[in-house]
Amino acid sequence: MVLEIKGLRVRYGVGEVVRGLDLEIAKGECVGLVGESGCGKTTVGLSITRLIPERKGTISSGRILLEGQDLLTLDHESLRKVRGKKVSYVFQEPSSSLNPVFTIYEQLKEALPGRGATDDDAVISDLLKSVGLAKIAGKKNIYPHELSGGMQQRVMIAMAIVPRPDLLVLDEPTTALDVTVQNQILDLIMELKNKIGLSVLFISHDLRTIFRLADRVAVMYAGRIIEEGPRKRIVAQPGHPYTVGLIDSIPSFEHRKKRFDAIEGRAPLFSDLPQGCKFHPRCKFKIDKCVHAEPELEELSDGHVSRCIRAKGLIANGAIKGS
Amino acid sequence: MELLKVVNLKKVFPKTKEPAVNGVDFSILKGEVLGLVGESGCGKSTLAKCMLRLINAQEGNILYKDRDLLKILPKDMHRMRKDLQIIFQDPYTSLDPRMRIGDILEEVFIIHHSFLRGRRKVKVIEILEMVGLGETYLKRLPSELSGGERQRVGIARSLATDPEFIICDEPISSLDISVQAQILNLLMDLQKRKNLTYLFISHDLGVIASICDRVIVMQAGNFVERGLCEDIFRKPKHDYTKNLLKSSSLLS
Ligand SMILES: Nc1ncnc2c1ncn2[C@@H]1O[C@H](COP(=O)(O)OP(=O)(O)OP(=O)(O)O)[C@@H](O)[C@H]1O
Ligand SMILES: Nc1ncnc2c1ncn2[C@@H]1O[C@H](COP(=O)(O)OP(=O)(O)OP(=O)(O)O)[C@@H](O)[C@H]1O
Ligand SMILES: [Mg+2]
Ligand SMILES: [Mg+2]
Repeated sequence: MVLEIKGLRVRYGVGEVVRGLDLEIAKGECVGLVGESGCGKTTVGLSITRLIPERKGTISSGRILLEGQDLLTLDHESLRKVRGKKVSYVFQEPSSSLNPVFTIYEQLKEALPGRGATDDDAVISDLLKSVGLAKIAGKKNIYPHELSGGMQQRVMIAMAIVPRPDLLVLDEPTTALDVTVQNQILDLIMELKNKIGLSVLFISHDLRTIFRLADRVAVMYAGRIIEEGPRKRIVAQPGHPYTVGLIDSIPSFEHRKKRFDAIEGRAPLFSDLPQGCKFHPRCKFKIDKCVHAEPELEELSDGHVSRCIRAKGLIANGAIKGS
Repeated sequence: MELLKVVNLKKVFPKTKEPAVNGVDFSILKGEVLGLVGESGCGKSTLAKCMLRLINAQEGNILYKDRDLLKILPKDMHRMRKDLQIIFQDPYTSLDPRMRIGDILEEVFIIHHSFLRGRRKVKVIEILEMVGLGETYLKRLPSELSGGERQRVGIARSLATDPEFIICDEPISSLDISVQAQILNLLMDLQKRKNLTYLFISHDLGVIASICDRVIVMQAGNFVERGLCEDIFRKPKHDYTKNLLKSSSLLS
């Protein structure tokens, strides 16, 4: 395994927002992490190289192994070497991580592994073209604010793949991109995955992109994984009422001018989590037992697990099914 | 009734030759949802910002209630901002990092003299609830929110002035499908109840198809196709639009 996260718990002022999470990523594998706004996805990504802002939050327990090495016990110097080199990030908001006072060219050059080579310019230019930015490929005087939102996002992606990391953490990397460019980026990542065995943690709220790229999908709810499995299994037969709700809410032309089918209700507050299954207040299949104890992950089929005590029964009687 | 009419709007950024917005014309009807789509970097946000004079256009007119927004005095424009709002594409840079969420929203009411002091706090909570957040967020800083929560604060702030027109620039791009649906339902409810008008910029053709009356397709600063949503999605004419539709799942 390239990455093993074991029993991760993270606490902010509002409460514990990652409540015991396990996740593994193999070499050359892409794991998609999907879930509702605020459920803790970014926090999981940041925890990997301990990027949680120190005065705001703490990793209270767990282990994070990168190729066997525990990153949570590493000293700061060694950790710095891991960041950006072995693990690189595309953060959710590109403007927050591009440096406004340096040109795009300067920032890409800085990220190059063997800096100072004579072909740096050609490498940078090719890189920009590969993310669909031929328009600025030969230009050295462009600053981040002179780019559109989607262009900034693509510069971030270029910068993250340049050091040839072992693990790439993509946090909502294509949110501002239209399908054409989105597909181009997804193809690029797929190619790196197949060619150099890049491992990817793909965080997104967008099931459509997750379903395109991920080998395995992990669905997160209120700080824990509630379903995980091979993508194909989950598409064919989701194993948790929440996942079914997510799939059903994908808008399409058929929904025209009708109300959107949102999952009723809203995600619970971390300061006030319900007893039992955290999804039960919104679940139409709730029974008394759901209210008492939070279910463990239960295996539905090989490598496919769900944190729903009714999953097997609901699947058997056709109450929850794929689309 | 025409709410807003844009005539020959043009913006060229320094250092560049090709205009980011190349003399475009269009109008928006009162109560309409007008979609604006086009590939990344084609000029959608630039057009949006020029319309509200957040950046200066070189040429053009923007007619609103018999006035040209590009010609009126800054202080009059300031007053107009109550009615003409924008939800920014990038929530991170559009929220003051030192201010607490409650204060960011209350400030809107103070600037526009909307409510008496005693009412303001209640109204702030009400508007946070509308976007699926709530009282527990009042004392938090923008950096203490998730990406989608920040985006919803941006939406709340635009709704707080009770505007009649909102430019929504990728307003739901960081929201998961379920919260997206809640926000879209909210925007559509407001549109029906208060006859709000939207210019809705999104790369998500599924969303555009489901909420817009008309759509404009933009490419490299120009409008290349426009028309009723049904027509554009069923029978796109321009190659660019065809490509856009082909690569999304809508036609497959
Ligand atoms: N610095 C902080 N201080 C306090 N609470 C925080 C902080 N950062 C995040 N939170 C809270 O922790 C929870 C998880 O946040 P996180 O950013 O991991 O969510 P997310 O799943 O990435 O959501 P989104 O899809 O909206 O980006 C949220 O409820 C958020 O309000
Ligand atoms: N402040 C600026 N200075 C110079 N050029 C700029 C500036 N802002 C935008 N541009 C350029 O203008 C063009 C249009 O940018 P704009 O932000 O309007 O695109 P967009 O259609 O909103 O794209 P996206 O979908 O990626 O947000 C781009 O080529 C961009 O590089
Ligand atoms: Mg996030
Ligand atoms: Mg934009």
